[in-house]
Amino acid sequence: MTTVFKLDDADIISQGAEAKVYHVQLHPSPSPRICIKHRFQKTYRHPTLDAQLSRSRLQAESRVLVRCLRAGVNVPVVRLVDLDGGLLGTEWIDGMSVRRILGGGDEGVLEDDDDDDVAEEDADEHLQKFAVTKDELMRLIGHEIGKLHLADIIHGDLTTSNMMLRTRMADAPAQLVLIDFGLAFNSTLVEDKAVDLYVLERAFASTHPDSEPLYATVLDEYARVLGKAWDPVKRRLDDVRLRGRKRSMVG
Amino acid sequence: MLSSYNYPAFNSLAHVALFDNVTNAKELRSRLISAATMSGPDGELEREAVNFAFVDASLVVSEMHLQTALLFALLADARTSLRTKTVHSEILWALNPTNNISEAIRRFGVSDSTTRLLVVRVCTPPTSTSPENIETALRTGVAGDAVPLSCLSSFTDWSKLTKYYKLPAGVPHERLIQIVESTVGAKSAA
Repeated sequence: MTTVFKLDDADIISQGAEAKVYHVQLHPSPSPRICIKHRFQKTYRHPTLDAQLSRSRLQAESRVLVRCLRAGVNVPVVRLVDLDGGLLGTEWIDGMSVRRILGGGDEGVLEDDDDDDVAEEDADEHLQKFAVTKDELMRLIGHEIGKLHLADIIHGDLTTSNMMLRTRMADAPAQLVLIDFGLAFNSTLVEDKAVDLYVLERAFASTHPDSEPLYATVLDEYARVLGKAWDPVKRRLDDVRLRGRKRSMVG
Repeated sequence: MLSSYNYPAFNSLAHVALFDNVTNAKELRSRLISAATMSGPDGELEREAVNFAFVDASLVVSEMHLQTALLFALLADARTSLRTKTVHSEILWALNPTNNISEAIRRFGVSDSTTRLLVVRVCTPPTSTSPENIETALRTGVAGDAVPLSCLSSFTDWSKLTKYYKLPAGVPHERLIQIVESTVGAKSAA
């Protein structure tokens, strides 16, 4: 379908297999710029199927974001949903991904000219800039995921790249924002919550080898938020660790 | 008096004005209704004089809230997929979380008891009407004090908003603003 907005000359932030992300001045300045996720047309799919899939995924993603906000989970505010154009406009989160803060670099992010970071990133320096300790950061992560799961929302792609630490304003408390709900869905099942946690555990282990023990802190805070709902998730998480993300369909 | 938002992507310019202590809300409302049915050149003139979106300012939490609804209406207009008759009524419809058009106009439009009014005029193309003409129309049409848009957040009627947007209790306003803005932003997926 037609794209009303000219995204070609906008700042492209990152490109994945499903979508491109831009930083766009959608409303006239001084309104802040907005983050636009464009689910571009996939030429490898039949056009009708492609339009249908993009549409329903976009719809699902924007609904989950509103549900998250209502449940008190920190996510970007929705500014625009254009089902025909495949656009999702959200608030631009000023900050840094947890992956980068922990020294894992940024995945799939196209380098900015004015970005002067070198290949070797220093985790301690980043943490200092945001005035949080590693332990506090892990607790923030556990806290947001706990709230998310209490609302029966499963993120579906929990990685440290999909978490942003917002730049702090003066004395405001540190705020962790979950982003990219493209694979999110609603579920009350313990299994889905355990798998969600397991995916993050693996992401931690593969991108931040030295911070693996820190994941225990994430779970500790998660358990505190969930209260008595934690026990079944804990038991299931142990099962998932043994068998992996996919459940065996045999028998 | 007028604040203007330029949307080059839509070849449109939106003019916005905020009024406090409005005393003629009742007349405004009846003028709007009668203008719609008047015929002949008089009707054209009258329709032009009230060709605005009159929004109850106590139900708009922030400038971004209005801009989100405005963008929704502009996009629907550009795609010729307006759900209501004009781009102005589409703004009111975008602000209301349900799909009921008359409910949207009753809740978010001008009512007999409205005292704080947010007035929007969308010009497509931008040069279709001069800002001077719009200011004159507003000066003669709205009996109230023009105030800067920055006053908007102090006008908010949270009890009404809580009812309309089904907002959770015991949550700070900062968060409620996010929920309200997102509800409008995600309207086309609701």
